Amino acid sequence: MLRSAWNDLLSVYYANTMIWRLLKTAALVFLGFFCWTGANLVLSYRSDWGFLYYVMAYGFALLFWGPFTHLVVVPTIIRFRRSGKGGVRNVLARHGSKANITVFLLLVLVLGSLPLGVMTFEFQVPAGDGESTNINPQLQCTQSGDVIHCHLSDSRGIDSVVVSTSGKTLEEIEEPPFDFDVNVNDIETINGDRQFTVELRDENGDTIRRYIRRVDLIPGDSSEVIADMSVMT
Amino acid sequence: MNLDVLGLFDNDYDTEGFRTCSVTGLKIHRSAENYVKLFGLTAVVALLVGGIFAFTVAMTRWEVVGLLQPSDFYIHLSLHAWNLLIFWMVFMEIAILYVGGPMVLGRRLPITRVAQTGYVSMVLGALVINVSIFLTSPPDTAPLLTAYAPLQSPPAFYAGVILFIVGAVVAALPFFLTLWRERREYPNRSLPLVAFGAFVTSIIAVEALVGGLITFVVTFLWRIDLIQWMDAAWYRQMYWTIGHGTQQINLAAMVTVWYFLTHVVGGAEVISEKVSRTAFILYLFFINLGAAHHLMSDPAVSVGWRIFNTSYAFYGAAFASMIHAFAIPAGLEAGRRKRGKGGGTFGWLTNAPWANPVFSATIFSIILFGFLGGITGVVMGQMQVNMTWHNTFATVGHFHGTVAVGTTLAFMGLVFFVVRTMFQRRLSFGRMASLQPFFYAGAMGIVVIMMMYVGILYGVPRRTAEIVRNIPGTEFSLQAASPLFAIFGVFAILAITAGTIFVVVAVASLLIGDRVTGPEDNADLVPDGGAATDDKPVHAYEMRGTFLICLVFMAVFIGSYVINWYVLTELWSVGV
Repeated sequence: MLRSAWNDLLSVYYANTMIWRLLKTAALVFLGFFCWTGANLVLSYRSDWGFLYYVMAYGFALLFWGPFTHLVVVPTIIRFRRSGKGGVRNVLARHGSKANITVFLLLVLVLGSLPLGVMTFEFQVPAGDGESTNINPQLQCTQSGDVIHCHLSDSRGIDSVVVSTSGKTLEEIEEPPFDFDVNVNDIETINGDRQFTVELRDENGDTIRRYIRRVDLIPGDSSEVIADMSVMT
Repeated sequence: MNLDVLGLFDNDYDTEGFRTCSVTGLKIHRSAENYVKLFGLTAVVALLVGGIFAFTVAMTRWEVVGLLQPSDFYIHLSLHAWNLLIFWMVFMEIAILYVGGPMVLGRRLPITRVAQTGYVSMVLGALVINVSIFLTSPPDTAPLLTAYAPLQSPPAFYAGVILFIVGAVVAALPFFLTLWRERREYPNRSLPLVAFGAFVTSIIAVEALVGGLITFVVTFLWRIDLIQWMDAAWYRQMYWTIGHGTQQINLAAMVTVWYFLTHVVGGAEVISEKVSRTAFILYLFFINLGAAHHLMSDPAVSVGWRIFNTSYAFYGAAFASMIHAFAIPAGLEAGRRKRGKGGGTFGWLTNAPWANPVFSATIFSIILFGFLGGITGVVMGQMQVNMTWHNTFATVGHFHGTVAVGTTLAFMGLVFFVVRTMFQRRLSFGRMASLQPFFYAGAMGIVVIMMMYVGILYGVPRRTAEIVRNIPGTEFSLQAASPLFAIFGVFAILAITAGTIFVVVAVASLLIGDRVTGPEDNADLVPDGGAATDDKPVHAYEMRGTFLICLVFMAVFIGSYVINWYVLTELWSVGV
């Protein structure tokens, strides 16, 4: 049974029709991605499992070496065998496959021992690049009669603030501290609630944070916001 | 109705309107053939429209390009999804019903006026849906496939959906009438397997569509203020009867196409009619319950409901798919060995007619659906593992594995088959047509893998325009996923190119392709080794190649299962 399985494996390895070449290539690329990313994933949980670097290296090398083997090496070796010529061709025909697998395994050992940066994924949440800032001020609103007054707890990193309702811009404030007033009657009803949107933008006009406020939930006599309904874009 | 446009509907029929297909040997009536062509052509148009939006969506998610603003992205995503997940699929599925019913049974299509009405309603519905999505403006939101109430979409959108669903149900009526008449005329004759598969598909379809009709009629009434209040939990429960149910129609239709095309083109035998029919019956009872995985995070469903749907009932559907996954390649292996096309363990597969795009598209559909869509569907469909997948890009990878490579490839093969045998045109750009399934399967397969990896490895969410570079207002970054997104972006372009080639080949074949003049022009569609075989029972032939392929499949299945459960246990730090 083992002999039969080995023969089957050899027959598949040396199968040289175009469809076999493509099927083997596709299967090895598939396996390569599976091993490469799977090893990276498990390694992010179990950084002490060093053998996973070799699984990762095997998968990564397979992405290139699998297609190279079955689209180039095996067809070339078979052509050399059939040519019946001596010399280097004969040596390659007899030992080419063994040399190919040896080089591949050596490559896996080297990459597993000295993993390239491109092989290893960064799974940790970056601590920031030193330039970006965490812009997350509180938007505090109070209502007095028909007027809602809002201000931000911190205006650093903000270039402008845009207040809108149902897609219509009510206010655009470009100077700190970005306080603004909105008349309740100007706020449109969406899904049964009067609500407005406050977008904080950077100097490029990109949204860095967005808040949605429902009029019913804005307190009339307190500076505290009852419910923070901020949503991220 | 005179359907003859550009000479596309002008085959030679006898005085009763029948002709005999030189490839399948089926007795085909003009009425059935014309409507199969009509629905098939419309499906290809939907594929083209959805494919255009596939480009804009993929180039937005690949943030290096960042094509669309977030405000436009969801509109494009909605148009992409509705045209490909619904219109391309459902128009093709109605065509498949007409093939599986009237054509396979050798009958004319009854009540053609009803089929015509259904077609017009579906087309109008599709147009209204497309326009209403395109013109969506605040406070309405583009619906994608989950316009969860109380989120609201344009009223015209709901009206369009109702029109489309009613049209699809109406278009299915001639199929049901055909079966009813067949049973009355031949009460003791069992349906051929393909007709049986189409019948099961139609039952699942009607269940999904009627569920959708109930959902969207009520939502439409709410949207035009005739109903004041909508229960969000009710909406979600009801919505998923159609939201996921339509994908189960795709599955059943696709499996039916697999049986049909592997038999006609590859010479596959049916290993056991009873077993294959039982698998279809299992689909009937269990496949739609797969929708439960969308509701795992909802507070409104009980623990018992969750466990039943994502465990016990779920296995019924998975078991059925396993049966088909063995039966179809085994049938192909036995059938080819019968014709003397064995050749070792895998010779039956490798010496098959791979240059024929009908065959290659079908086989790639089977392989990629099994490995990419099927395995991930079973893994993510479980209650526990679902939590690590749901609403990540991995889910998008899963259903692209089922629909974009599985069903779409099978339907592409079927379209090529229809072009050859019903439109009677040879395929234009022969070499390009032969390579198209290879190109599409390879590129789209890698796109699907990348979607799953960025979802599982990084938790990249679905449905957002930008995520890798920046989540506004936080330090949190998924920048590390950029290399995989680069692979995703490049292969998405390649896959869309391959899809474009499909449309170009199909349309060019119809418009400028050489006409098939005799059976010899379609000789490559008949199994090599001849249509006729010896009388030895199919079990007399070994199927060890299929057995080994199934072992590989199981190994990948187990590997995926283990790694997903391992990741889950680490999430809760209970440790393995």
